[in-house]
Amino acid sequence: MADYEERQSLLGDEDKGRQAAEAAGGPGRPLPAICDPGHLLHRIVVLVFMCFLGFGSYFCYDNPAALQTQVIQDLDLNTAKFMQLYAWYSWPNVVLCFFGGFLLDRVFGIRLGTIIFSLFVCVGQVIFATGALVNRFWLMEVGRFVFGIGGESLAVAQNTYAVNWFKGKELNLVFGLQLSMARIGSTVNMNIMGWVYSKVAALVGTPGHTALGASLMIAGVTCLFSLTCALVLGFLDKRAEKILNKEQGKTGEVIKLTDVKDFPFTLWLIFFICVGYYVAIFPFIGLGQVFFIEKFNFSPAEARAVNSIVYIISAPASPVLGFMVDRTGKNVIWVMVAVITTLAAHMMLAFTFWNPWIAMSLLGVSYSLLACALWPMVAFVVPEHQLGTAYGFMQSIQNLGLALIAMAAGAILDTRGYLFLEVFFCVCICVALIAVVMLYFVDYLKGGDLNMSAADRAKLLKESTSDAEIKRRSSRVSEGELARLAHMSAFGLRNRYLSRLGAQVCTHHLCFDSIQTEIPLFPNSVFKTSHWQCICF
Amino acid sequence: MAALSVELNPGWPSPLPPVGDLLHVRAVGDNDTLHFLFCSLGAPTLLLVHTNSSSSTLEVDWTQFLTRKVSGSLRVEPESSILQSNAIVFSRLLEYDDVNNTANPTSDFFPPYDLRDFTWARLNLSGASALLCGAAATFANGSLCLKLTVFDSEGRDQILPRLLHSANSSQVEVWLDGVLPQATRSRFLLELQAVGGAYPLSRVEVQRSIDDEFTPSIFKVLQWLPPLNRTYGGSGFLQWKPVSYRQFSPVVEDGTPAQHSPPRPQSCAEESSGLIRAFYAEPETFGLNVSFGLAGEPFYNSTRFFSWTVLLGVGLPPMDSFSPAVLIMMAVGLGTPMILLLLGGVCVCIRKRASASSYEPIN
Repeated sequence: MADYEERQSLLGDEDKGRQAAEAAGGPGRPLPAICDPGHLLHRIVVLVFMCFLGFGSYFCYDNPAALQTQVIQDLDLNTAKFMQLYAWYSWPNVVLCFFGGFLLDRVFGIRLGTIIFSLFVCVGQVIFATGALVNRFWLMEVGRFVFGIGGESLAVAQNTYAVNWFKGKELNLVFGLQLSMARIGSTVNMNIMGWVYSKVAALVGTPGHTALGASLMIAGVTCLFSLTCALVLGFLDKRAEKILNKEQGKTGEVIKLTDVKDFPFTLWLIFFICVGYYVAIFPFIGLGQVFFIEKFNFSPAEARAVNSIVYIISAPASPVLGFMVDRTGKNVIWVMVAVITTLAAHMMLAFTFWNPWIAMSLLGVSYSLLACALWPMVAFVVPEHQLGTAYGFMQSIQNLGLALIAMAAGAILDTRGYLFLEVFFCVCICVALIAVVMLYFVDYLKGGDLNMSAADRAKLLKESTSDAEIKRRSSRVSEGELARLAHMSAFGLRNRYLSRLGAQVCTHHLCFDSIQTEIPLFPNSVFKTSHWQCICF
Repeated sequence: MAALSVELNPGWPSPLPPVGDLLHVRAVGDNDTLHFLFCSLGAPTLLLVHTNSSSSTLEVDWTQFLTRKVSGSLRVEPESSILQSNAIVFSRLLEYDDVNNTANPTSDFFPPYDLRDFTWARLNLSGASALLCGAAATFANGSLCLKLTVFDSEGRDQILPRLLHSANSSQVEVWLDGVLPQATRSRFLLELQAVGGAYPLSRVEVQRSIDDEFTPSIFKVLQWLPPLNRTYGGSGFLQWKPVSYRQFSPVVEDGTPAQHSPPRPQSCAEESSGLIRAFYAEPETFGLNVSFGLAGEPFYNSTRFFSWTVLLGVGLPPMDSFSPAVLIMMAVGLGTPMILLLLGGVCVCIRKRASASSYEPIN
C-alpha cells in the first residue's frame, strides 16, 4: 500500500491545529471540542458521516438480488435480461477505475467530486425506480449505468477522505469500519427489501411493476441520505481546511497506462486470480435467492437471509483475518486456502443437499480471507510509482469480468439450469486455482518474495533500508576519503584491496624504486600517486 | 429397442366407430410385449398391458365394447401371458376461485367438468403419437387436449419439461388452451385415477435430484408407485415433474409449480371410462388431484393456457443423470490444478537436487 505518512494530511500537527482553532474562536476562547477539527470528538463525528457516505450505494447495488422473483415476474423478464442489471453497473467501471483518482485530484477536487458522485448514485437509483414504475426495462438499464458511474468512484472518494482525516494505526480501524458499514448496507438490503415490497404491494393493491417502482424509490431514500452525508462532509472538510490552513486532500494516485507493459508475470497471475474468483461470488449472490428456494425448499425470507450471510460474515471477519495475514505473511498460501475453500463450498452447493448455511458461511470466510491476502500482494510485486496503475487495472478487469460473466450466468441459467451454473462457477474458481498454483511455483522458483512470512519480510525491509543508508553515507564522505588516500602508497592500496578478498598479505617487503602511476578511482577522476617498487619475502 | 406397430380401432371396419376411438400400439421386444391402449370412449384413458410373450394380441368385441357395460369385451390374448397392467384415467377438470391468492384448493369450487361428458374429436395420428382434443358443452371456445407418444427407445423429450423416457414408457401431455375461466382469479386442478391390476398404485414418492439441467430450477421428480413391499422390477409407475407451463412452447420463466394431493382409494373409474370397464372386472383405483399454480403465481387468466406432462410405464422409472458436458467440465476443472501441482512439485524437486550438486557461492 502507498506510504500515507508521506502525504500532507489535514492533521499534521495537533498543536498547530489547536492554536489555529483558538485563533478562529476569537482571542482567548478555544472552540468547543466537537467543533474543533483537530480534536478527536470532531473527527469521530466526521467518521460517522464518512461511513454513511457509502451506505446508500451498497444498499441499492444489491436491490435486484433481493427482489429477484418480483423483478422477473413484474417485468416479465428472463434471467439473462435480469442479470443485465448487474452487467450495466460494471460497464462504466471498466474505464472509470483509471480516471477516478484523476477526476478527484485534478478536475473536481475531493469535496466537489464526492458530491457529484453521490448525485450520480442518487439520480441513477431514481431513474432505475422510474423505469420500473413505467414498465420500461431499457430505462432501468440506463439507471443502473448512471448508478454505476457514481458507485465505485464514491468508494475511492471515501478512502481519500479517510486518509486525510486519520493516519497511522487509526487508519486501519477506519478502513475496517467503512468496510463493515458497506457490508451492513448490503445485508440490510437483502433482508428488508422483500418486506418493503410486500407492504407496498398491499398498499398499491396488487403486486406489479408499480409496487416494484415504489419500493425502489423507497430504497432511493438511502441514496438521498448518503448525498446529505456528502454535503455535510464537504462543508466540514472546507471548514477544517480554513481553520487548520491545510490544502485539500488528494488521492495521490498516478495512472500511467504505458506501465502495463512492465507488469511482471506474477502480477498477471494475480489478475487472473482476482477475476476468476470474484466472478464466482457476486453473480452467484445475485442469483442465489431463487436457487435456495427451489433446491433446498427454503422460504423466501430464509433464502434471502442465507444469501446475505456472506456479507454478514465478512464484516467482522475482514479485520480479524487481515490482522492474521499481516502477522503471518505467506500471502500466497492464504490465497490458495481461500480459493480451495470456495471451491469446496460451491461443490457442496452443486452436488449435495447439505444445509446451505454451511457452504455459505465457508464462502463468507474465504471471501474475506482472499480480500485480505490478495490485494496487498500487488504492492509486493510492483514498484510504488506503478501501484496506482496496477490497482486501477486490476479493478478494471475485475469489472469487465463481472459484467461479462453476469450476462453469461443469466443465459446459462435459462438454458441449462442451476447445476450447470454451479459447475460453471466451479470452473471459474478452478481457473483461479490454476493461477494460484502457478503463482506459488513461479514465485518459489524466483526466490519466494511473495510467500515470505511477515518476520522475513520485515527483515528484508530492514536490510534494504540499511543498504540504502550505507550507500547514502558512502557517497557523502567520498571526498574526505580521497584526501586520506592521497598519502597512502600504491602498495598499501593493493594490500587493502587484497585483504578484503581474503588473500595473503606480505609482512616483510623491500622497496627500492619510485614509479608514477594513475589509478582510476571514480568514473571522472583519477588518483595520481608515486610509489616504491617493492618485493615480498 | 422395440418394434412399434400402431393401429387405430383394430377390428372395426371403416368408417370410424360412432363415438370414441381406440388406439392400439404394440411394442414388441425380444420375449415380451407392451400393449398401449388409448381410448376416448368416456374419459380419456391410457392402459398399459405387459405380457411375457412376443406374440400376444388384442381382441375387441366392439358391440359390447361400445355399450360400456360389459367387462371382458376387450382382452389381451393369451390371458395367461399378462404379467401386469396399469391404467391412468383423466377423469375430471376442477376449477376454483382463488380470491386470496393462497392456492389452497379446499373451497370455492365451481361445478367440475367431467371429462367423460366432453365431446371428443377424432384421434389425430402422426407417427407414434396421437392427439386427442375435446371440449365441454359449456366451453365457448378453447379445448382440452391430450397428446400421447409411445417410444421405442431411450431418449429425452425436446420441449420442457424434457422428461427422460425409456423404451418401456409412454408420455401423455395434457393442456388446456383458450378456455374462458369462470373467475379472473381461478386456478385449475386435474383429477387422475390410476388403476392397477395386481398391484395398484397407492403412494406418491418424491425423489430429490441435484441435477436440474433439463428442467431448470426443478429438483424433484414425483413417482406414483405400488406399495413398498412390491419389488420394483415388474410393476407399473407414473412419473412426472412438479411443474406446469403457461405457454405452448414454453421457456423456463413460463413454469409454475404443480402440486398433488395424496392418493386416495376411489370406486368409480369403471363408470367414467369405457376402457376400464371393458378390460377390468374389479379394478382397484386410487385417485389424486394435480393442482396448477402456487400462491403468488399468475392465474390461469393471464395466459389462458396450462400444460402438464406425465409418463406411464413399466419396470424401473427412468432417472436423470449428469450430461457428458458437466462431467467433462468438472474433470478438466479439477484435474488441471492437480496436474499443475504435480508438475510444479517435480520441477521444484529437480531444481533442489540440481542446486545441491553445484558449487557453493563464494559469499
